[in-house]
Amino acid sequence: MRRGNSEQWTVNSKQSRVSRWRFGTLPLAIVALIVFAVFALVKIFAPPPKPDATWLRVLDTGELRVGIDPSFPPFESEDANGNLHGLDIALAEEMTRVWSAETGIALGVHYVYSGFDGLFDALIASQFDAIISALPYDSKKTQDIRFSYAYFDGGPLIVVRASDEKTKTHFDLEGKRIGVELGSSGDSFARKWQRRLKYDLQTFNTPADALRALQIGQMDAAFTDYIAFAEVSRPSTRFASGHASDIKTIGAPLASELIVVAVRKDAPTLLEKINAVILAMKKDGRLAKLYDEWLSVH
Amino acid sequence: MGGQVRTGRPGDTATRRTFITAAPRRRLAASIIFNALKLTALGVLIYALAAPPPILVTLGAQQTVRATNPKLGIHTRLTDEPEEWKIKKTCELVRAMGSPWIVEYFPWGYIEDPEGWYDWTHADQVVDHARQQGLTVIARLGFTPTWARPKKTVTSYLDEAYYPYFASFVNAFVTHFKGRVKHIIIWNEPNLNFEWGYREVSPDEYARMLQAVYPAAKQADPEIQILAGALAPTLAPPGTLDAMNDLEYLQKMYDAGVRDYFDALAIHAYGWTRPADDPPDPSRINFRRAELAREIMVRNGDASKRAFITEGGWNDHPRWTKAVHPAERIQYTLRAYEICDTWDWLAACALWAFRYPFPAQSYLDYFTFVTPDFDPKPIYFEVQKYATR
Repeated sequence: MRRGNSEQWTVNSKQSRVSRWRFGTLPLAIVALIVFAVFALVKIFAPPPKPDATWLRVLDTGELRVGIDPSFPPFESEDANGNLHGLDIALAEEMTRVWSAETGIALGVHYVYSGFDGLFDALIASQFDAIISALPYDSKKTQDIRFSYAYFDGGPLIVVRASDEKTKTHFDLEGKRIGVELGSSGDSFARKWQRRLKYDLQTFNTPADALRALQIGQMDAAFTDYIAFAEVSRPSTRFASGHASDIKTIGAPLASELIVVAVRKDAPTLLEKINAVILAMKKDGRLAKLYDEWLSVH
Repeated sequence: MGGQVRTGRPGDTATRRTFITAAPRRRLAASIIFNALKLTALGVLIYALAAPPPILVTLGAQQTVRATNPKLGIHTRLTDEPEEWKIKKTCELVRAMGSPWIVEYFPWGYIEDPEGWYDWTHADQVVDHARQQGLTVIARLGFTPTWARPKKTVTSYLDEAYYPYFASFVNAFVTHFKGRVKHIIIWNEPNLNFEWGYREVSPDEYARMLQAVYPAAKQADPEIQILAGALAPTLAPPGTLDAMNDLEYLQKMYDAGVRDYFDALAIHAYGWTRPADDPPDPSRINFRRAELAREIMVRNGDASKRAFITEGGWNDHPRWTKAVHPAERIQYTLRAYEICDTWDWLAACALWAFRYPFPAQSYLDYFTFVTPDFDPKPIYFEVQKYATR
């Protein structure tokens, strides 16, 4: 009896399954395993990054060199005696205070003046270690530069009267009278939403004018930045009638204008240290205190 | 199985080397490579299928500009804009803003490189889309190609020996665009040394450039309007190495005999921190400094010639020392267009700049009316409101 055909078919189908395994799935699995193993080994055995030369130089000299354009109060400005004041100055001083406590090395800040437009070039040329000068975050400038976490957002906020309990977002302002500084980012934002939300948009020459119009009931809301809001809501600028400031901000900025610190890309340790300070200051309220101190006073 | 198989013939127990045992290591390697190639091919196929198709851009229907101020213009910056749909969209937005005039830059080195070899593709796109939107193009010509200057010189370097080559290019440009472009500007800000190849600025040399270019352009099209000057407003004192006061330079151009070699004066009218109405004063840079340039034209017998503002305006960067507040920028810009409408010697007022193809990442971005992503700024809407009222 010829059993060869069925036997051979059985053997061939088994051969086929084995062949698919050994010459299909198995090679792929081997390749994947090899790739995974290489990455794992590199990760495990890679030496820890060395502290960057910039950070080592700061420790060695006891000095953090900060590039600054001192023409932008309340972030930084110079008084008649040549002394620097502002939120950025306070932030830089706080950073070195924290690092001094951590390292046991007395660290100070040395300010290097530069025109704003030249700050990036000067940083890349190592004329200083970091830019702390109300610097806007620029996502397209990361080829040579690294940016810290933001320590301030200068974007436009919704400002309403303190008695307004209904407004939670800009959607709640549909059909309402909105005051903005002509040409500002608040103006840009309002125009984008104007068609859909039918804002009655009124433009003013300054953000303070827009906020004052809000205070006296000519507007239902204003889109201005925090600094303008803080300025108008200060006690010394309250109306002569003596009423307390009756405006408040709602929610997060409508459009972010993040203010950050910049370092060179070869200074990852310095960046890490800066970020650690900023995060800690946000968490424990020190940053909020700086806002109260510097962004509400002229 | 052991790699053995019976052949099926009774009694035949010979072991045969089968497929699965024949050179297993070689076959394993070949299989790995084959599977890797299969995966790669699959990936390429998926990418090709998922990638968006190229955009088909057409000129569209002929448009006209609805403008209450026929002199209103803007300097577009399509030189480095590679995508045709963005060129078209820019022109559409300019038309919608109510601006009949545009100034655009056509670099010599982009078009004629190598010598005698012309690529008009991009220039044609810009001009044709602009004309289809009803815009009038003023073409700025300059930018020396590498073959026309020594190594390690900049694109603004043009030796006098190569003026005939530049003239030849201008002739070719005017010929190619005859009927489509009726105004050309010769060079840019020659009173600044970095626009003059980092050489000492020379009104005499610029005059000789015009003397070489003018007949070549007219030979191609007798109706072409040749604009000269385009000087940078500067208060550089006499003897400054890197610049010459624009008013001094203009007078020296006339002294060098340039009067018969241009048809209109191109003026750069930046306001910096001063309002549009700030009175003209030789010791100040302001918008109405243009009137001082006009006075020089008249004094030198060119009262019948017109002028064009081909650059100018204000900047609203929050930190630049020459910037103003956004509201001021808008107010001064609108006032400038109003003033230009009253100057009967001025043909057009094209301010700087409509949009950059990509961010300049500096204060320069705050000259624009529209972002690189085609987001109109408030100034765009205010000019539109003014120009289409």
